[in-house]
Amino acid sequence: MIRYLRLFIAFARFGLATEMAFRANFLVKLLVEVLWLGILLVFYWKLFENTSSIGGWGRSEYFFFVGCHYTLTGIVETFFLTNCVEFAELVRSGDLDTYLLKPIDEQFLVSCRWIDWSTLPNIAQGTLIMTIALRVMGWIFDPVRFVLFVVLFVCGCALAYSFLLILSSMAVWLVRNQNVMEMWWLFTTLMRYPRAIYEGPWARPFGLFFTFVVPVLIVVNVPADTLIRALQPWFIAWTMIAAALMLVVSRRFFRRALQSYRSASS
Amino acid sequence: MWRTLRKYVNIFRVSLIERTAYRGDFLLGTILRFFPVITTILLWTAVFKGAGQSRIAGFSEQRMIAYLLLIHISRMFSSMPGLSAGIAHDIRDGTLKKYLLQPLDMIGYLLSYRAAHKVAYITTSAGPYAGLFLFCSGYFVGLWPDALTLLAYIASLLLAFLIGFYFEAAMGMAGFWFLEVTSLLWVVNTVNYFVSGQMFPLDLLGPPWDTLLKWLPFQYLAYFPAVVFLREVQGRALVEGLLLELAWTVVLILLSRWLFARGLRRYSAYGG
Repeated sequence: MIRYLRLFIAFARFGLATEMAFRANFLVKLLVEVLWLGILLVFYWKLFENTSSIGGWGRSEYFFFVGCHYTLTGIVETFFLTNCVEFAELVRSGDLDTYLLKPIDEQFLVSCRWIDWSTLPNIAQGTLIMTIALRVMGWIFDPVRFVLFVVLFVCGCALAYSFLLILSSMAVWLVRNQNVMEMWWLFTTLMRYPRAIYEGPWARPFGLFFTFVVPVLIVVNVPADTLIRALQPWFIAWTMIAAALMLVVSRRFFRRALQSYRSASS
Repeated sequence: MWRTLRKYVNIFRVSLIERTAYRGDFLLGTILRFFPVITTILLWTAVFKGAGQSRIAGFSEQRMIAYLLLIHISRMFSSMPGLSAGIAHDIRDGTLKKYLLQPLDMIGYLLSYRAAHKVAYITTSAGPYAGLFLFCSGYFVGLWPDALTLLAYIASLLLAFLIGFYFEAAMGMAGFWFLEVTSLLWVVNTVNYFVSGQMFPLDLLGPPWDTLLKWLPFQYLAYFPAVVFLREVQGRALVEGLLLELAWTVVLILLSRWLFARGLRRYSAYGG
């Protein structure tokens, strides 16, 4: 365990050193992230100038949701996204061999090797939006809800990580994985909005499928719901179970993928 | 006659095999591509439900969703993935020489290359998009334009292709002056997504922003063709809009030509 922690710190330092070698590029990346957040906020602000609620979420509630989503994706992008994108490339080029030979858990090495420092501030920005939203709505601190929120948020991260790992492991069979980054972006549009918008004759079953079969809708919804809206014990339990389940499933999936890896063209 | 035909049948066969070699990947990509469309429709349905008014920024629910679907058609014509980065890359690693050594105009070559690419892309994605528009046909009831509007729509799309191309080309020319332009391109693409109206109709921003953005070339990459189809701009405004689009096309053609000529004077053809 200590060994893994030390390795992780070494990876982090290496990543930071690399980024700092191209400082201007790093600053521009930060600027793009801030710009993007600004655009999102203007968009939702404009929406709420015209509507009082989206799927039952009022303005500050909705901004809390946005902040929660932004923080969570910030964590996934910082720690895992680049690595998983890289994984698909390693499979295609056959360079994965080098990694498999290392005396260390493959999943750890593949998914934690690189830390993307440029998206780290997103986590802070997301948290800031959540904090402001809570202030505006006059949220009163509730220790039980807060602890539950933190636990569920971690579950949400675990779920998102599992999906990402499965998506990039598919590269072994699909070979020419279209840009994993783009696939991931398309897939995660599902967790960007409140679950309540999945209403209507075809949208309802669609929403239920992505809540219970492929549990991506609960990733942001349940933590956000738990902190500022109604406590739904069943959903809370399901999120925790789903997170544990998906971690196991994605690890199995990853191992299966490695077994099918043919080490071609290295 | 038969031999010519056989040649093309073979090309078709090979292309089809190439396409289906990655069928799993292709299928997954196609399915995932529908997710943002679905969530956009659901989001706006929810927005209108909570609004308590039938119109937002002058758009009814039906027209708003139709607009957001039509954006996909606009982008089919105007998006030029990798064009700027490709030009900048050719400048940096010296491969630009290959254009200069041949009796070939680089911008002209790239333009015809992209045009062919677009034709192929639009034909292959016609199927999935036809399915999408059929599925969403409820949002288009009574919106089908008359012949004249349709003509204006096609004109606006063709000009959108040219504006998209020459804007990206001009951006790529920045590579003559800067070593690394990818970060500049990120910023431009991010802003572009917003100011071209891909997120929502520019009218939602209200004055003075919407007026300002409608003077810029970016609206033609997504917003303008869609509102032409929806007959949001008609008569005099339509003619003016198309003329401005034409004017921007000319400006961007001249700009990219000028930048290319200026850039070549600086270009030292290292590497390659």
